[in-house]
Amino acid sequence: MRVHVTTLQGDLVEVRVSSEEETTSGEATTTAETTGPNPISPEGKELIWGAGSFLVFLVIMRVFLFPKLKKGMDARYNGIREDFEQADATRTAAKTDVSKYEAALAEVRAEASARVDKARQTLDEERSAKIAEANARIATKRAAADAEISAARLAVRDQVAAAVASVTERTTQLAVGKSPDAGVVQKAVQQVMQTGARS
Amino acid sequence: MEALTRIAHVSARVAAELTPAELKANSAAQMAGLAYGLAAIGPGIGIGMIFGKAIEAMARQPESAGMVRTTMFLGVAFTEALALIGFVAFILLKFA
Amino acid sequence: MFSTQLAIQVVEKLVPAAGEGRGFSFPPINTILRWKDVVPGINKVVIIAILSALIGTVLFLVASMKDARKAPKGARNLAEIIVEFIEKNIIMETMGKSGMGWTPFLLTMFVFIYLCNLPGIIPFIQMPATARMGIPAFMALLVWVVFNATGIKHQGLFGYFKNVLFPPGVPKALYILVTPIELISTLVVRPFSLAVRLFANMLAGHLLLVIFALLSQSLIQAETMRFFLIPIGVLPFGLLIFLTAFEILVAFLQAYIFTVLTAVYIGGATHPEH
Repeated sequence: MRVHVTTLQGDLVEVRVSSEEETTSGEATTTAETTGPNPISPEGKELIWGAGSFLVFLVIMRVFLFPKLKKGMDARYNGIREDFEQADATRTAAKTDVSKYEAALAEVRAEASARVDKARQTLDEERSAKIAEANARIATKRAAADAEISAARLAVRDQVAAAVASVTERTTQLAVGKSPDAGVVQKAVQQVMQTGARS
Repeated sequence: MEALTRIAHVSARVAAELTPAELKANSAAQMAGLAYGLAAIGPGIGIGMIFGKAIEAMARQPESAGMVRTTMFLGVAFTEALALIGFVAFILLKFA
Repeated sequence: MFSTQLAIQVVEKLVPAAGEGRGFSFPPINTILRWKDVVPGINKVVIIAILSALIGTVLFLVASMKDARKAPKGARNLAEIIVEFIEKNIIMETMGKSGMGWTPFLLTMFVFIYLCNLPGIIPFIQMPATARMGIPAFMALLVWVVFNATGIKHQGLFGYFKNVLFPPGVPKALYILVTPIELISTLVVRPFSLAVRLFANMLAGHLLLVIFALLSQSLIQAETMRFFLIPIGVLPFGLLIFLTAFEILVAFLQAYIFTVLTAVYIGGATHPEH
């Protein structure tokens, strides 16, 4: 390595420095740094091997591995979707069954209630019929009793009228001395009793 | 006289470190650092803005977060490329 | 004379002799990133790439061998989660139902990139294969070819380039400005940014991990002032663990973004906006 050194006299002297490790190691590093290939420039073998391995990988993936994997995935996804659809179908079927059952149940219930209503109606009718019959019977009985009572009352009145007439006839005979006409007495008694009953 | 030779020795050592090639390497190293520092300013601001806006967009519309994230990474990639070219310039200046 | 002596002492303190080997020094980047051939033509990155393809193949092989009718678990569950993630979160969000035919391509891409990213945080491997430009460059090139071919297939050569270069709905006078921009952005910037994004993210993460690992190592194994430096060394080690957890997220996110952008480009080529 050559260096310029200014001597005491002011001359510029070129000195060759050959001191120990300085020259050797320094020059070695500079050569390694400057003469070595640029760290950015691609290295041929790395490019070729990288390209080769990538292309082989790509071809293997494109031709064999990916289609197989994808087929499996699609098959499973389709299976899952089918399972879902099946489940949906089953659910809808179950729902229709349930609604059918509910409809049948409602029908049966309606029928039962109709029957109950009908039975209740017939029962009511029978009861009212029987009640009417009983009422009628009671009414006839009451009418008969009423008739009996009025007949008895009439009979009693007749007896009373006869008794009053005989009493009146006797008192008149005693008072007047001659027996009055029975027809007249009876008529008068009848008249008095009727007015008395009326008043 | 002894002292003068020692000065000569020392200054020779100093001068020995600054041969023209080394002088060039020295200034190249300085320029490399400067180049990368300058190259990092713009992309730094840009990436900050991209992320900030993307976060705003995602916070405003969380349902479009996926699309925003993809676009954000695209924008970051384009912006970052400038800083990386600066980094490459650094390597080229320093080691080429 | 005394002041000269002092100056010499100060200078000697400030300029430590080279090769003393004390303290923290970052190794040359090529010693971190470039790996020696294990077998001629095969180094660590190549092995990681091959293993990624192999692990992906084995995962999907085991998954497809299992009975599809049963509830998925284990490998099949994992594979189906990834497939559904690709279909729901990437294809449906960007291309819609018509893009389902792209599932195997995007799935392979996502799995391969993720498995190439992941070794960056696996202890004792600690090297994302995508932190080297080879794989990202190839993937971006492949995506470029695929989306252009899709566009040509769906719209015809003339129609596709007409849609790309002269996007409808733009005033005619603006085509002077729009056409060169569209040409460069579609045909140059897209694959370039795709490759650089993945590569630079993984490289940056890898370098961060290397820096903090080296820093904590040099602090914990310090020879002087151990009582002071070792407790300090715990801090970068904690940050190293945190960054490793962060890199898990980055590994996933970069694979996701790469795949989403691929889907967007293919979707845009299939259905041009009118």
